[in-house]
Amino acid sequence: MEITARPESSETGSPRSLEERFRALVSSVKDYAIFMLDPTGRIETWNAGAERTKGYTADEIIGQHMSRFYTPEDLARGLPAKLLGQAVRDGRVEIEGWRVRKDGTRFWADVVITALLDDRGQLMGFAKVTRDLTERLHAQEEQLRLAHAEEAVRLRDEFLSIAAHELRTPLSALQLQLQGLLERPAGVDPRIRAKLERACRSGERLVTLVDALLDVSRITTGSFSLNPSRFDLAEAVQDVVERFREHAARAGSTVTVRSEPGLEGRWDRLRIEQVVTNLLTNALKYAAGTPVEIVLSGTEHDVTLTMSDEGPGIPESEKERVFLRFERAAPMRNFGGLGLGLYVARQIVEAHGGEISLAAGRPRGAHFVIRLPRAHLVGGTG
Amino acid sequence: MSHTVLVVEDDVDIRQALIEIIEEHGFGALGAVDGADALKILSRATELPCVILLDLMMPVMDGAEFREAQRQDPRFASIPVVVLSAYRDLDRHAAHLDAVSVLRKPPSVRELVTVLRTHC
Repeated sequence: MEITARPESSETGSPRSLEERFRALVSSVKDYAIFMLDPTGRIETWNAGAERTKGYTADEIIGQHMSRFYTPEDLARGLPAKLLGQAVRDGRVEIEGWRVRKDGTRFWADVVITALLDDRGQLMGFAKVTRDLTERLHAQEEQLRLAHAEEAVRLRDEFLSIAAHELRTPLSALQLQLQGLLERPAGVDPRIRAKLERACRSGERLVTLVDALLDVSRITTGSFSLNPSRFDLAEAVQDVVERFREHAARAGSTVTVRSEPGLEGRWDRLRIEQVVTNLLTNALKYAAGTPVEIVLSGTEHDVTLTMSDEGPGIPESEKERVFLRFERAAPMRNFGGLGLGLYVARQIVEAHGGEISLAAGRPRGAHFVIRLPRAHLVGGTG
Repeated sequence: MSHTVLVVEDDVDIRQALIEIIEEHGFGALGAVDGADALKILSRATELPCVILLDLMMPVMDGAEFREAQRQDPRFASIPVVVLSAYRDLDRHAAHLDAVSVLRKPPSVRELVTVLRTHC
């Protein structure tokens, strides 16, 4: 801090009043603790900022040694004396560290100690300016934690992408071997056929899981894009339901589709089928044994698909969370899966300019509502 | 036209499984480990394959580079190519390759045999 006095003749008044005003200025500063020490380190003056920062009133602290503000660790290594010695040797010393308030709490301080010498170079004492940087330190720590968390997420996504690609190749080889055996022109023993079919189904499940991981890595890296064409949503939904017939029968569920005519639009058919597949997979997993109903309707500008089951449903508090990555409403130990189906579904629907949500206020079951604009300028989601 | 299929695939297990399936269904099969290997096999062949089953992601010379070289060589340009890839949206990836068909890995044996019967 540097104060320059103006000439005596100006309206600033006499040097005495300038000194008084300077004292008033220092004592009223609240953001900095500014005080003087005698040559031994005992406190001689105290300002509002010092009281605010350290918690002592002037009456309580004047005459006490400045070591009172230091932590036991710093006292053990003789830091107060070292700092005063360095200020005498170098003129000033600046240091950041933990200091202790009257109530025993600690704060992160930036401290400047300046040695005050008289005309003959004799030590008169010290000026000490302390700034509480605890908030800044916390903000920096928070920023660092955030950076570490972001890096961890990036590494996880990178790992997922590599793992998924690496898994996909041997899985393809395995599926081909199994299918090759199943489809041998010479035929297969019926008992072996049943085992092979089960192995093939497991392989298909693995492929689906790995594909979900690949989709997530494409979405997070922004390399996920749409390939739109014109088709009728009802036809695509019917195709998916047809593919799920055996799966639904195994789950003890029926899947019915009610549709209005003329639900054409311009969408990525493969991706829209994937959305329906993901919702249907969930319905048959979490609401097995209950009927699933898909209703399709349209307006001039968009079409709406609702899929309802009569299973346990999703609590109101979970209705947004289930659309996040690796999230699920059901406990992980009860149901398999990666918790990616609804996340991927939402990304696909939103990439088409649409919306997907869970209807509120239904007494039971899950009721998904998807609205898709009939035409949307599609591109990458990244 | 022969009844031999050229399988261009870098993964040895996938390549071998495809060759076995193709042979079991009455076709001949040759294997190439990448696009460059496939071009060598084509250059040495006394009889050209009826179809090339082409993977897209391969080291040394990938599917797209192979297709480019194949189309520029009048000896091989007319051999139909069936693209085989792990891409979910492989239609888009294969669009510029002018393939007669695109199959997602792993293809079902039935769709594979149907495609081969169409071209061989």
